[in-house]
Amino acid sequence: MISTLWRRTSGTLGTVLLCLGTLTFVLPFLFTVVTSLRTAADVARSPLGFPHSLTLHNFTEAFGQIHYGRSALNTLLITGLSCLSITVIGSLASYPLARITQNWSTWVYRLFILGTSVPIFVVVAPLYLLMRDLNLLDSYAGVVIIYTAINLPVAVFFYTSFVRSIPVDLEEAAALDGCGAFRTFFVIILPLLRPITSTLLTFVALQVWNDLLVPLVFLQDPDKRTVMVNAYSFIDPHTVQPTTLFPAALLGVLPLLLIFVFLQRHVVAGMSAGAVKS
Amino acid sequence: MFHRRRATMAAFLLPAIVIYGVFMLYPLARGVYLSMTDSLGGPIANFVGTEQYRAMADDPKVTSALWHTVLYAAVVVVSQNALGLLFASLLFRRPKVRKGLSVVLLTPTLVSPVMAAFIWSYLFAPEGGINALLGVFGLDSLQHVWLGDTSTALYAVAAVNVWMFAGYSCAIFLAGYMSVPTELLDAAAVDGASGWQRFRSVEWPMLAPALTVNVTLSLIGSLKVFEFPLVLTNGGPAGATDTLTMLVYRNVFGGGKFAFGIAVSVLLLVTVVVLSSATSSLLRLRERRI
Repeated sequence: MISTLWRRTSGTLGTVLLCLGTLTFVLPFLFTVVTSLRTAADVARSPLGFPHSLTLHNFTEAFGQIHYGRSALNTLLITGLSCLSITVIGSLASYPLARITQNWSTWVYRLFILGTSVPIFVVVAPLYLLMRDLNLLDSYAGVVIIYTAINLPVAVFFYTSFVRSIPVDLEEAAALDGCGAFRTFFVIILPLLRPITSTLLTFVALQVWNDLLVPLVFLQDPDKRTVMVNAYSFIDPHTVQPTTLFPAALLGVLPLLLIFVFLQRHVVAGMSAGAVKS
Repeated sequence: MFHRRRATMAAFLLPAIVIYGVFMLYPLARGVYLSMTDSLGGPIANFVGTEQYRAMADDPKVTSALWHTVLYAAVVVVSQNALGLLFASLLFRRPKVRKGLSVVLLTPTLVSPVMAAFIWSYLFAPEGGINALLGVFGLDSLQHVWLGDTSTALYAVAAVNVWMFAGYSCAIFLAGYMSVPTELLDAAAVDGASGWQRFRSVEWPMLAPALTVNVTLSLIGSLKVFEFPLVLTNGGPAGATDTLTMLVYRNVFGGGKFAFGIAVSVLLLVTVVVLSSATSSLLRLRERRI
C-alpha cells in the first residue's frame, strides 16, 4: 500500500515538475508580453517587478517604427504568392514524377531531392547576379520566384510521395473514358491533394514569413520591405529599450500566433512534416 | 492514346524544371565556377584556379568560423535533442497533459529567428532579464555579460537556438513514442522493469528512427544558422560568434571580396553535405543493427 501511495505522489510530483519545466520554456514569452505593456520608466525601475500600470503606447510606437502596416502587407503578399506558386507548380510536377516510371523521371526526381540539402547561402551570390541581369531585383516577382525555387524540392517530395499512395484505378478508368491527362489531374488528383497541401502550406508560410535573408538582399526599396527586414534595420537590440524591442517582436509574431490558434492541428502536422526535409 | 497522354503529363513538369533549373541549379553551378575566379560581382571574371581556396586556407578567420560553426552545431544538436527527449519521455507517461503541453512547447518554433533574437538580446543584456533574475535569488556571483564575453557568447547564441527548437524535437520524439507497440511496454512493466530500465532497453532502441530524423534536421539547421549570430552579436565579440554564413554574407555583400565569399559558401556546402550524410548514414546503420 505504501508503494502505491509512493508511486502516486511521485507521479503527481513528476507532472508538477513537467508543468513547471514547460512554464520555464514559455516564460520568456510571457515576460515579453508583460514588459511590452509596461511604461519604460516602470521597467527601468524594476525589470522583473509587477506592472503598476498597463499601456498600449509601446505598441503604437513600434508600429510606426517598423512601418508595420505597409511591411506587414508586403510580407503577406509575398507569403501568399509564394504559397500559391509553390503548390501549383509543385503539385503539377509531382503527377508525372509519381506516375511515369522511367529512367529519366527517376533522375529528375533525384535532382529535385538534391535541392533539399543546399543551403540558400550557397546560391545567394550568383542568384543576386542573375536577378540583377534579369532586372528582377527590388521586385515582388523576383522574391516569389526565389522562394518557389528554394521550396520546390520539399513540395515535389511531399506531393510525389502522396500521389504514389493514390491507387491508379480511377485514372485508368478515366483514360478509357477518353479523359485527357489535364482533366484527369484537375478532376481526380487535385481534390485528393487537399490535406497534404495544407500541411505543406503551413510549412512554407512559416518559412517565408519569418525569413530575413532573401528580402534583405533582394528588396532594397523601402516601400517593398518586409516586417523582418524593417525590424532588423530600424531596431538595434543593443541600444534599444525592451519596451521598444518587445512590442516589435510581438508584432512580427502576431499573425503567425493567430494562425496557430485557429489552425493548430495543421500547423503541428506541417512542422513535423518538415522532418522529411533532410 | 497512352503515348500522347504521357507526353501531356511530362509537360506538367516544365514550369518546375524551368524555375528550379534557372534559379537553383544554374546559380549553384555558376557559384562553383565563380569561386575559381577573381570576380567582384561585375562583368569581369578571370579564371584563377584554386587561388580563393588557398587564400581561404591561410585565413585564420575562415578556420575559426568553420570551427565555430561545427562547435555550435554540436552544442545545439546534443542539448536540443537531449531536452526534447527528456520532455517527450515525461509527456509520454502522462497522457492527460501530453497534448496541451506539447503544443505549448512548440510555440517558440513559430517565432521568427529575428524576433527570438530580439527577445533574448534583452534577456542576455548586462542589465537584462537573466542577470536581474540571478540578482533576485542572490546569485550575483553568477551574473555575467553573456553576449559580450568570448568564452560564453557562442553558447549563449546556441541557447536561443535550443530554446526555439527543443519543442520541435520533442514533437518528433513523441511521434516516435506513439509508434512503440504498447504490448512491449506492458510486458516490460509486468516483468517489473524500473522506469530507467524500460527506457534504456525498450524505448531508446524503438526511438532510433525519430533520433535519426531529429539529429539530421537539427544538424543541417544549425550548420546554416545566420539570423541568431547576426542580430544577437553580429559575429562578435572579437569574432567569437562568426560562423561560415556570417562570413559569406559579409564578404559577398559588403566586403568587396565577392569571389572569396562564394568560395566560403562552397566550403559551407561541403561541410553540410559531408557532416549530414555521414551522420545520417551512421544513424541508419545503427537503426538496422537494433
